[in-house]
Parts: sequence; structure tokens; C-alpha cells
Amino acid sequence: MSSLIDAYYKRHETFLQIIAEKLEFHLKECFSSSPRIDRICARAKSVDRFLQKALKQEDGKRKYSDPLNQIYDQIGARIVTFYASDVPIIAAEVRKYFHPVENQVLVPESENEFGYVGEHFVLLLPTDVIAGIADNGEGGRFFELQIKTLFQHAWAEAEHDLGYKTTAPLTSLQKRKMAFTAAQAWGADQIFDELFREIQTTKS
Amino acid sequence: MELKTIHCFLAQPSKGEETQPTIGGAAVPKKGPLFTMLKGVFDKAESECRIDISFNHNANGEQQNDCRDLLIAYITSHKVAVGRSIGVRLQSVTTQKSGLGLFFLMAGSEGQRAKLVLSRFPADQGILAEQKRNSLSVEFLEKVFMKSATAYKSAVYEGRITPSDFWTGRAVDKQINLPGDHVANYWIRDFLASDFTTTPAAGTKRLAVALRAAMSLTSDSEAKAQLAAAVTLASSVAGTVTSVNDFCTRFGFSPETFEAVRKVMKHENLMAEHFQFDVAEFIRHIAFRSIELSNGGILTADASKFSDVFRQESVNDAEKTVRFTTEGKIVDQRLRKVKV
Repeated sequence: MSSLIDAYYKRHETFLQIIAEKLEFHLKECFSSSPRIDRICARAKSVDRFLQKALKQEDGKRKYSDPLNQIYDQIGARIVTFYASDVPIIAAEVRKYFHPVENQVLVPESENEFGYVGEHFVLLLPTDVIAGIADNGEGGRFFELQIKTLFQHAWAEAEHDLGYKTTAPLTSLQKRKMAFTAAQAWGADQIFDELFREIQTTKS
Repeated sequence: MELKTIHCFLAQPSKGEETQPTIGGAAVPKKGPLFTMLKGVFDKAESECRIDISFNHNANGEQQNDCRDLLIAYITSHKVAVGRSIGVRLQSVTTQKSGLGLFFLMAGSEGQRAKLVLSRFPADQGILAEQKRNSLSVEFLEKVFMKSATAYKSAVYEGRITPSDFWTGRAVDKQINLPGDHVANYWIRDFLASDFTTTPAAGTKRLAVALRAAMSLTSDSEAKAQLAAAVTLASSVAGTVTSVNDFCTRFGFSPETFEAVRKVMKHENLMAEHFQFDVAEFIRHIAFRSIELSNGGILTADASKFSDVFRQESVNDAEKTVRFTTEGKIVDQRLRKVKV
């Protein structure tokens, strides 16, 4: 365990943080002319959060046998847009400038559920970002990019923070409250997007 | 890295055929002239394969690729049966135009690392000539497999022996710039289910931004003229696979102009990275060309049509004065706060 922490800590300090900073700059250059972008940010996954993910269990055994090389969101980036209809437009631009090895649109499984939504990519780090910086680990060759609306972003941040803080599983009422906030965020996105498109149509 | 296994397969053109022809496979002994020749291919693969490629995700957007799965299975087993599946995959995308090919899989390993080279030698006809003491013997050969300078294809992958590695590699395809989607896409896109690591838009944008920055930063008038000429003629490389180095060489840049471009690149490695030139993307980043004269005049036109819009003639060679002429109707006038 300590060797995994040491290895990740070393990669975090000598590679991931530098790359995350350069990646954020590069993403801002790529999407500077795209309208209605609230923010673009990139970060290196903290040692604590990496460890938490590395130890994740699935069907009674560790999900990752080689977490340093199998966890591809050691660098995570996010583009936050104003409206839901901006997400596919930004996603098309992402495919134009980056090479994806994964692309998923996340939606809850059932129509009665509300929760984590957004468009996620696992992308190869472009040479513009990694040129001249050595790291031979596979996990360090990729980054995760999420495209979210302001409301999806706000909900995911709070949900992540609460999930990270809690040690016990959520109670039924807490889960219901969480689902309520997700539904509210989803509803706000729908209405804002409808308003945006109505106003756009009126203008043109 | 030590070359440990070589398997070869005769891949027939059978794209679109429901039943794939049986494919024979054989191990190549680790001695003799054939082994020596293939060892050379294996050892030099990194320098010969100059295009960075990456596997694509599957149709559902998941982190899975059929070709990559086969290559990993071969890397971990070195078995002829797995190699045959890769050969069948090659056959299934090969048309009559690409023809018969001799396909080699060369695998090596060292500790936790492995390397795999895939090479396709196209079939050709040839003549065997042998000088005897008092005569010359010639013989027609129907199927000769050559490391052809015009049709050779290869790819190399190197990484740790783990299921999470081998997403990226390098390739060479001597037919990649030939017209026709099938021939150009056959090796990298159809067989390897991959694409260039640097997308056409990303590579072209990088080149355009560098040319623009070099133009602003250099004070060398000759370099500026070469950069402007290259921008004007850039559409002639539409769709071809190039790199910043190749582009500069193609347009005959002097060492000074080359240096002006190199200086504005973020890293030397970016000069050599290959991509497919995307004209629309290029125009997005270099739409207009402007010339400012010593008398305060500024001429601006569409970059690719500048020389058609303004006719340039020399007035005094010694003083480097020139005259520009143009003709047209006034369709608009603008006032600007700053010089652009």
C-alpha cells in the first residue's frame, strides 16, 4: 500500500501537477472562441482521492489490479457551459482536436431517477502538453474530460464533496434529498435551455 | 529489445467476402538471411514508422478496440493461432486493389516490456537474374514479396505487458497520400482500427498558428516572403499527411525561415509529428494576409487570393520600393481604433 502511495505521490508532484497546469492552458487556447463557456479547469487527482479509487471493491475484489496504470482520470478536466444544448457542440469540438479512447454520455438508468449526468471523455494527452516531460506510466498518458452545464457542475461538485465527507452509507432520506437536488438541477437546465433557444429564435 | 518470435501469413484480398479464405501461417526460424532481414525491420521500426497512431474506442464509445485486443493476445501468447486471427483481420479489409501480401508479426520482450512489429510486404512480379560463367540466366517470378518503396506498410507498438497498455503506436504507410479513400485508409483506419494521434484539426491549427507567429516575429523580409507564399499555396497540400517539418521543406523554406518557425513551436518534437492537412481549419486560423508599406498603406486580402487581388511590381530594386495595383468596386469601408 505504501509503495502505491509513494509511487502516486511522486507522479503527482513531478508529472501530474505540471501536466494539469499545461493542459488547462491548452484547453483554454482550444476553446477560447467557443461561446457560453463559464469555465475551463484541469486538476491532478489528489493522493487521497486516488487511493480511495484505487482501493474500490467490485464483486468482492479490488476493481483495479494495477491502479497506477488503469486509472485514467489521474488528470481530470472540466468544461462548464451555460446551457444543455451547448454540451454536444463542445463535444464535437473535443472530437475534432483530441483523440478519444472513451466517450460516454452519462444519464441515470431509469426515467424515474435523477443523478450524475454529463458527457465524459477519456482522451490522449496531446503532444503540445506532454512534449519534453517524461513519464512512462500508461495512466499518465490520458486525461478525463467532462463537459457539464453550470447546474450539472454545481450538483456534481456538492455531491462529490458530501460523498467524500461521509463515512457511513447515506440513509434513505438523505438519498431522497440528493435525488431531489439532482431533479431540481435537471429541471433548471431544461428550462434555461428552452428559454435560451426561444430567445435565440426570437432574435433571429 | 530481443526479437523472440516471427510468424508470417499470406493475406489474400477478401474484403466483403462472407467466408474468409483459409490463411496459412508459419514460424520463421531465428537464423538465416530472412531472419537477418526481418530483424533489421524489427530493430529499425521506431525510426521507420513515423506516424503516431492511437486505437479508436469501439462503436459504443467504450475503451475497447478489437484490433488492440488481438495484438495484446498475441503479445502475451506469441501463438501462431492468435497471429492467424490478426492475419484474417487483415484479409477481411484487403481489396483486390491492395492485392496479395505477405504479413509478418515480429514480437520481442525484455523484462516487463514488449514490442510488436507488424509488416505487410506487397506481392509483385519480378525477374531473377543470375550471372553464370559464360551466360546470364533469367527467370520470371510471379509472386515476389518486396519491402516496396511505394506500397510497404508497417506498425510498431511498445509498452508494458499489461492489459491497460498498447493504446498508442507508430506506423508507416507508403500509400497514405494516394487518392482514393480505400487505399489511404486501408492500413491505419481499416486494419488497425486506429487514427492519427494528432487529429487533422489539431495538427493544422498548430501549423497555422506557428506560421502566423513566425510571420509576426521575424524581421527578415525574405522569411516573410517565403511564409506568405507558403500560406497562399497551402491549399495544394489539402488532405495529405504532412508535418510542420515536411510543410516547411515542401515550400522550400530557407534555414532562416525554418528557424523562425522552429522558434515559435512549443517543443521541437512538434515539428515532426504527422497529421492530415485540413484546409478549412487552416483558413480558420490564417484567413487574411496583410502587407504594410513604408508610406503607411496597409493592404489586406484573403490569404489564398492575395496575389490575385493585388498585382505587385518593382519600382526601384535598389531601394526595394514596390507598387501594388488592384481594381474593383468599393463594397465597404471601415475605421479602426488600432492597426490590425
